[in-house]
Amino acid sequence: MTFRALRVAALTAAQRVVFAPSAFIVSMGIYGGVVAILGSLWRTAASANHGFVAGYTGAALTWYIAASEAATIPLNTRLIEMLGDDIASGAVAAEMLRPASVVAVRIASEIGRTLPHLALCLVAGTGLCWWTVGAPPNLASAALVPLSVALAITCNVVAQHAFAAVSFWIRDARSTWFIYQKFVFVIGGMLLPLEVLPHAMTTVAKLLPFMAMAYAPARLASGHFEPWLLLVQVGWITALACVAAVVFRSGERRLQVVGG
Amino acid sequence: MSIAVDALHRVFESGRRRARRTITAVDHISLRVEPGERLAYIGPNGAGKSTSIKMLTGILHPTSGTASVLGLTPWAQRRELTRRIGTLFGQRSQLWFELTPMQSYKMLAAMHDLDGDAFRRRIGELGGLLEADELFSQPVRSLSLGQRMRCELAACLLHDPAILFLDEPTIGLDLLAKQRFRELLVRLNEERGTTVFLTSHDVADIEYVARRVVVINHGSVIYDDDVEVMRRTLLSTKLIDVSLGHEVEFAARPGVVVTEHTPSVLKLAVDTRAHAVRDIVDGLLTDYPVTDLSIVDPPLEQVISEIYEAPAR
Repeated sequence: MTFRALRVAALTAAQRVVFAPSAFIVSMGIYGGVVAILGSLWRTAASANHGFVAGYTGAALTWYIAASEAATIPLNTRLIEMLGDDIASGAVAAEMLRPASVVAVRIASEIGRTLPHLALCLVAGTGLCWWTVGAPPNLASAALVPLSVALAITCNVVAQHAFAAVSFWIRDARSTWFIYQKFVFVIGGMLLPLEVLPHAMTTVAKLLPFMAMAYAPARLASGHFEPWLLLVQVGWITALACVAAVVFRSGERRLQVVGG
Repeated sequence: MSIAVDALHRVFESGRRRARRTITAVDHISLRVEPGERLAYIGPNGAGKSTSIKMLTGILHPTSGTASVLGLTPWAQRRELTRRIGTLFGQRSQLWFELTPMQSYKMLAAMHDLDGDAFRRRIGELGGLLEADELFSQPVRSLSLGQRMRCELAACLLHDPAILFLDEPTIGLDLLAKQRFRELLVRLNEERGTTVFLTSHDVADIEYVARRVVVINHGSVIYDDDVEVMRRTLLSTKLIDVSLGHEVEFAARPGVVVTEHTPSVLKLAVDTRAHAVRDIVDGLLTDYPVTDLSIVDPPLEQVISEIYEAPAR
């Protein structure tokens, strides 16, 4: 399989979103609402705490939420569940009849599907934050945010495929999805900066891949010029992609498709 | 040799610990298929047909045994094999429902490394062959089943495969669509030499498309011969349809079953192991006011049912 197949899969998925924009518009509405509400809550918390929460100002927290939500809301919220169902039902068998990696094509398609959402989130989030709290706290770190959000989405999609592949063994990925989602919410830093957590938990959370899915771009957006976060994200993507490939390959051997 | 299978065996396990049980889906099957053959691989539900096809296309790993498809081991060299075979499962789509067939074909072409010129030429050929040009640009979800199946066939022919594996390809199609699909398969085989490996519960698929039939039941091959040979050698019944000049009584006897009797029509099923057909016909012509008479073979469906019910040989 060549890179061309993955590029075509991603572009085709992106076209589908652009030409059937209803879900697209709904997720944009949710994004705007969530950023407005959570940003307001965090600004209130900061002003009640002498202008800071765990070292973040109210404005920085607003930019933090805009980036962390941009890295998660464009994703298909039921991806693990849907992929798990396709594995358990054997529907994935039809994809095994193509000369391409099932998991690579699925990941490319999913990333392609989120790209138009992501582009709009970044534009809307930037506009909303600038209007409510002014310019980003640090323009140099803000310039890294689009790349970091794209890496965060890639990391999340790859990780979801690795998690969903347990359906080759346990036949039901719903429980996996529930646990995964909660990890991204809390120790991934989607709802709150990791520094708000108890110290030990912050340390552990920063060692886990979930931080690459929301915290990393949000930390950059909140004014912390820490380019090494991009390297951490690339590292986790590479590691999780290897896990997904290995788990899928061994899972495919276990596939049980009975009947037509 | 297109396909060579030796003692292919597959067991499925279900349940856990004490409730664990094993089901033998395919039981040490051996088979040879030459290039350009049109083979029907048939059997009752649960016989192991689909499991066999899934092993031959590399989706399933066997429990034991060997198989070679175009010189490749399907489950070990699946991706390489998918470049040289086409597979169509009547109950599973390989097209993306939200896309047009053309968009799906572009993705498949990228996977098969077809360049732009080769892709356009191939799509043009397939559009003509399948009479489906106008369908390629409509969303898959808006196509009728018959139209979709033609587009599915185009998808699996895109890379000009040497073997077509078709698992119940006409399921759900109406009579005209089925017949059109069968004609396409025969044309493909005759014009391009594509080997056709077909499973179906529709006897007309077998009659029209296949030249050879392999019957599988309880995971084992129980019959393997030409369709015509099967029809000739396995028929133990002849059907005699008689038109009568006026109403008569007919005395049934062992080995002769009256299937229909009206004042003007008498239909008999004769067991040729008990009676020579000629004797029955002579008796009818002598003793009854026969105005017309015909002798026909029972439908292939009945022959196949008899094979399904017979013990393995």
